[in-house]
Amino acid sequence: MNAAILNDMTKCIGCKACTLACKEVNGLPKDASSDVLSSKSWVAVEQKNGINIKRQCMHCNEPACASACPVGALEKTETGAVVYDASKCMGCRYCLIACPFSIPKYEWDKTLPKVTKCVMCYENALKKGEQPACTSVCPTGATIFGDRDELIQEAKNRIANNPDKYVDHIYGIKEAGGTSVIYLSSVPFAELGFPVDREEEPYPKLTWKVLSQIPNIVSTGGILLLGSWWVINRRMKLENERNQNNIDDDNIIES
Amino acid sequence: MKEIKLPKVTFWRAVLVIIWTLGLYATFIRFTKGLGAATNLSDQFPWGIWIGFDILVGVGLAAGGFVITAFVYIFNVKDFKAISRPTVLTAFLGYVLVIFALMFDLGLPYNVWHPIIMWNPHSVMFEVGWCVMLYTTVLFLEFSPLLLERFGFKKPLAIMRKLILPLVILGVLFSTLHQSSLGTLYVIVPDKLHPLWYTGLLPLLFFISAICGGLAMVIFESYTSARAFGKELEFPILAQLSRILVVVLFLLLFIRYRTLAANNALQYIFDGSKESIYFLVEISIGIIIPVILFLIPKIRNNRAGLFLGAVFVLIGFIMNRLNVSITGMAWSSGVNYFPTWMEVAITASIVSAGFVIFRYATKHLPIFPDKESEAAKVPPPLISAGRSGSRVIMVLGSLLLIVSVGLALEFSSKSKTEVIPEEQSEPVKNVMPAELSLPAPIEFEMGEDSPGVVTFTHETHVDPDEPNCTGCHTGMFNIKPDKVGALGSVSMEKLYENQQCGKCHNGDDSFSVEECEFCHYAE
Repeated sequence: MNAAILNDMTKCIGCKACTLACKEVNGLPKDASSDVLSSKSWVAVEQKNGINIKRQCMHCNEPACASACPVGALEKTETGAVVYDASKCMGCRYCLIACPFSIPKYEWDKTLPKVTKCVMCYENALKKGEQPACTSVCPTGATIFGDRDELIQEAKNRIANNPDKYVDHIYGIKEAGGTSVIYLSSVPFAELGFPVDREEEPYPKLTWKVLSQIPNIVSTGGILLLGSWWVINRRMKLENERNQNNIDDDNIIES
Repeated sequence: MKEIKLPKVTFWRAVLVIIWTLGLYATFIRFTKGLGAATNLSDQFPWGIWIGFDILVGVGLAAGGFVITAFVYIFNVKDFKAISRPTVLTAFLGYVLVIFALMFDLGLPYNVWHPIIMWNPHSVMFEVGWCVMLYTTVLFLEFSPLLLERFGFKKPLAIMRKLILPLVILGVLFSTLHQSSLGTLYVIVPDKLHPLWYTGLLPLLFFISAICGGLAMVIFESYTSARAFGKELEFPILAQLSRILVVVLFLLLFIRYRTLAANNALQYIFDGSKESIYFLVEISIGIIIPVILFLIPKIRNNRAGLFLGAVFVLIGFIMNRLNVSITGMAWSSGVNYFPTWMEVAITASIVSAGFVIFRYATKHLPIFPDKESEAAKVPPPLISAGRSGSRVIMVLGSLLLIVSVGLALEFSSKSKTEVIPEEQSEPVKNVMPAELSLPAPIEFEMGEDSPGVVTFTHETHVDPDEPNCTGCHTGMFNIKPDKVGALGSVSMEKLYENQQCGKCHNGDDSFSVEECEFCHYAE
């Protein structure tokens, strides 16, 4: 069963209870602004054109960050949450580069910095079968937690029952190969800063196309190089022998 | 009485001391205060010149190593044997310095060894890390005969001489892999990297431009070593290299053009944006001008001309790596990155240390051939270096071309969609919207002229079946934890103007605000 979160932006009143609950659970400073995501705000509520948008990790089905991390510090768990193991991290920040939604943030002000992002309360809630902090405090039900398929169905129902209220698109079903955090909106997603018009192929596939060629390149290359050395070496040897024979012949003739 | 000899204070030595002092201070800040204090890096722009220049350019310019050793030991082009030692030294030094520079950029450099035991073969960074580790080892082994010769270890020297061929082959393979992988790093960001640089064939472009950069580096370094240390410049060899450079530069230009055309990116070349200007400058300086220069025999057969052409190639190469990592990425980042003086100081310190170590090595190790060696004297043209040698190179060149085209076709074809298998997992509690959780009643702070305290309850305003929270929030009533119920968060002026509560309490939708006692409870 795939855990997921449905963020219905038509219901969000911007009360920021979700951001406060997240800070509470993760020990983050309350005075750090939660208008945008940062290393001190793993959930943010942004206001754009009068609409409140909950920003958090999308928990992609095939996360670019997890494929990018050289030491596997980021991982898509069996629950669906994408989690981070700080003990593995060496701070290369490739995950910040790779994420198409620019979600992971870094602790630039610390001498021993970590990568930070929403981990869907994996350790403190999901593993115990409970819901994450943010969805548990939302007063309006704008952000709710559940099984991905059921939430997608719920989202479809909402669009079908209120066609004037919603844009006919559920963001996150196909984007980036599908994400565990999906969105409903009353205005086109592009206007709210969501990346649109992208390939639906998961991002890790792009680099895997290249990396999977490596065994071929190594074996073909190795054979080519060894082969050409052998061919050239033999030719040089033969040429030298021929030259030597000519010299010997000359010597015989002269003597 | 012994005279104490102080080192002479020259201009360059003074410059070095200044650079290293600044670098030392910057290092102190970097490691005591963190990356944020020492750099202009940010969440929006996590990789700056320490990656874009120190690593991408550094690794690329050290590429001369694998190109020249391949020519000498695999294709048996004995002409280049004289420059193979300084080239290997440059490469080895280059890689060691790149790894050293990486320690500054990594957030937790003491974990740099983690990829040895923690594997993610799907990660391009993993592959880069491993290839660099393995290649640096190979370079060290290729470099070791110099040390063994210097210290007179005859037996190990004999063993190393036998291993040279497999080492060179491994070196070429590892080099090919990670030179291209540095480009593959950016394949995962098609939306972030500007279309003038993004292509699925970035690995191929990085590989070919690394060959160009490596060859140009050999010409550059031979020239400057000759002038600095008075060693004989292996001129004829370098002239040959410039001819090879022309061919490879043409190939590079062609593939660049094809990828731009395939990605529908030709439209950006002349669109007048900052990125288009950087692109045009990069192509002109890095490819067009050097090709023109090298095609003119007067320039190609002239020491200064060769050097000039090589400099153009190198500048173009540096521009390309910086354009991919900085210009092209800054385009989508929303920030204008520019390195801090500390980032520049550390980079400059490392680069200058490289020059100093190189010079020191040439003084104490047998890097350069003796003047009596044949390679430096008679200029045999490439063709006669075993006719077999040149023919094989042509065959291999065409093979490389075919392989390149094949790979290009492979990458440009659509991938098959894979079915993501359903994962069995622990059942998680399903939570759908049940009851609304409305806040407790809000008592407003009383003003001086207030007839009585006002207590607002959500229950009297909210229909549980159709809550319509956004009807009031946040447009009419912005929720700020410190302002709820505070004096002034709701004002009578606004109410009389039919704003805030007055929007509905207008006498029609609900009782008018003029009915004071409905809200204000007298004490």
